[in-house]
Amino acid sequence: MAFLFRRLAFYLAAFLAAATINFFLPRLMPGDPIQLMFSSAGAELPPESLEALKLTFGFVDGPLWQQYLTYLGSIFTGDLGRSIKYFPLPVTSVLGHALIWTLVLMGTATIISFILGTWLGVMAAWKRGSRFDVIVSVSAIFATSVPAVVTSLIVLFVFGFTLDWFPNGYAADPSLDPAFTLQYISSVAYHGVLPMVTLCTVLIGGFTVTMRNNMINLLGEDYIVMARAKGLSDRRVMLWYAARNALLPTVSSLAIAIGTILGGSLVTEVVFNYPGLGNVLYQAILARDYPVIQGQLLIMTATMLVANFIVDVSYVLLDPRLKAA
Amino acid sequence: MKTLLRNRKALVGLAIIATIAILAIAAPLLTEYNPATRTGRPHQAPSMDHILGTTRIGQDVFARVLYGARTSLMVGFGAGLLITLVGTVLGIVAGYRGGKTDEVISFFTNMVLVVPNLPLLLVLAAFIGQASPVVIALILGATSWAWGARVTRAETLSVKQKDFVKSAEMMGERQWRIMAFEIFPNVISIVGINFIGSVIFAIITQATLEFLGLGDPRAISWGNMLFAAQKASALSVGAWWEILTPCFALAFLGIGMSLLNFAVDEIANPRLRTGNRLGRWSLLVRNGEGRL
Repeated sequence: MAFLFRRLAFYLAAFLAAATINFFLPRLMPGDPIQLMFSSAGAELPPESLEALKLTFGFVDGPLWQQYLTYLGSIFTGDLGRSIKYFPLPVTSVLGHALIWTLVLMGTATIISFILGTWLGVMAAWKRGSRFDVIVSVSAIFATSVPAVVTSLIVLFVFGFTLDWFPNGYAADPSLDPAFTLQYISSVAYHGVLPMVTLCTVLIGGFTVTMRNNMINLLGEDYIVMARAKGLSDRRVMLWYAARNALLPTVSSLAIAIGTILGGSLVTEVVFNYPGLGNVLYQAILARDYPVIQGQLLIMTATMLVANFIVDVSYVLLDPRLKAA
Repeated sequence: MKTLLRNRKALVGLAIIATIAILAIAAPLLTEYNPATRTGRPHQAPSMDHILGTTRIGQDVFARVLYGARTSLMVGFGAGLLITLVGTVLGIVAGYRGGKTDEVISFFTNMVLVVPNLPLLLVLAAFIGQASPVVIALILGATSWAWGARVTRAETLSVKQKDFVKSAEMMGERQWRIMAFEIFPNVISIVGINFIGSVIFAIITQATLEFLGLGDPRAISWGNMLFAAQKASALSVGAWWEILTPCFALAFLGIGMSLLNFAVDEIANPRLRTGNRLGRWSLLVRNGEGRL
């Protein structure tokens, strides 16, 4: 329990760091920070909205620490300001809506590629040096080394444009209303295939390589020799003695990988015009919509911290030594 | 180095990188076109005049991909060097000094590790505005050192316990000397892996940032080629050459770097080897311990 509390305190500090970067960055840039942040709005923003926005981002009269506290105050009350591109929608609702799509896409792809990648890694390590191992290892290297942008564009070109098997954009047929109907859900699934395939291709190799390397390092351990000497079946030794222990470092590497997964998912969404955070962000960058760009850092940091915490909890469940501590 | 040249993955990887580097250096000899200016009609398909076609504004794609390789390689290796430098110094200092220094450095390292990298870079690049390749390399160096610092610290902790470090301490060597001449040469394999990984990361991230429209659009680079092609809806209008060329260039470089990366990894940890040439170890395994 103490372990988890310590982690929570650390995550709070990390979140604070992200907020601090957001606060100081416009102020460190040459020129007037207010001008910089809201100039893209032009004359469209009503004066009282501009005042409200300035207050949210801590542009108040007073010393820097007071501005900082004002900014932290608005963040911790959940006020991230309003989007300039989608004015008057608040940043939280613009990003919140997009986050759901990103999480669905990212979550499903992560689970699929984690299970499949780990399984491939176990099998490759077990049949180390065989043709299966060589094929799996080499394709894992290829899959991980190609940037997500490239994988997305090639998948889109081949399956979207050339073969025309799947739609080239959007999360669902735009003519359908979002609802829990079979028609809508199947449309979402159909539109999700290409981004999902891309993300899985990008992610799976990493899991395979980590798991294979962990397994191989473990296969030389004494307790594996012991298990075999006892005459246990191959399957039992492989899964319950080797794979189970090799999984532990894989889970902790998952925590670090979440940032990469997020990045990959952002790019994939832009290519497939998928209405997640990546696409919203892309539009925001093109429109110099700074409140949204800053908001995404906070929301993604928060997402990442929550994911890390889930990994921490599962780590405690997987490793009995931590439960006692 | 010799072991590196005997590894097939390393050889293929090095060959790929060398090919790209040579093509980048020899760019003016291989194409007569200026990559920045209009040299033909827009969106021409590959032909004898323009072997990889032209972009929407009529630039030669082949010239752009050759000159773009210079940017990708320079940013990749420059930023990679910077990331490795910061990570290695922080890692060795934290690991060797221990105590309060270690606590502070480790705290920051862990913090940087949990703040997602790409979103952070996006915010930085967005405020800097139209970041040139040099600026991108600098911000990559400033934000991406954490993983390297962490692994170098861990390695330093184990090297620190060795006798030669203890004896150097007994002889009253100064701390920076011990760190630079006793510790550093013994963590060099970790530093090497960190460097190659950082170069890969820098190349991919630069392309990604530029693809998202955060780069300086005047710079000639693979990321900008993708950005321009995407903005011109090159795929929808059938100008596949404009998008696939930088795609394959990036994929090719990425694969080359990764092969090198895995080869170095295998040399540092011989158990990980694949293929027929498992060498003495696999023979030993086959004869002695069955599948173990």
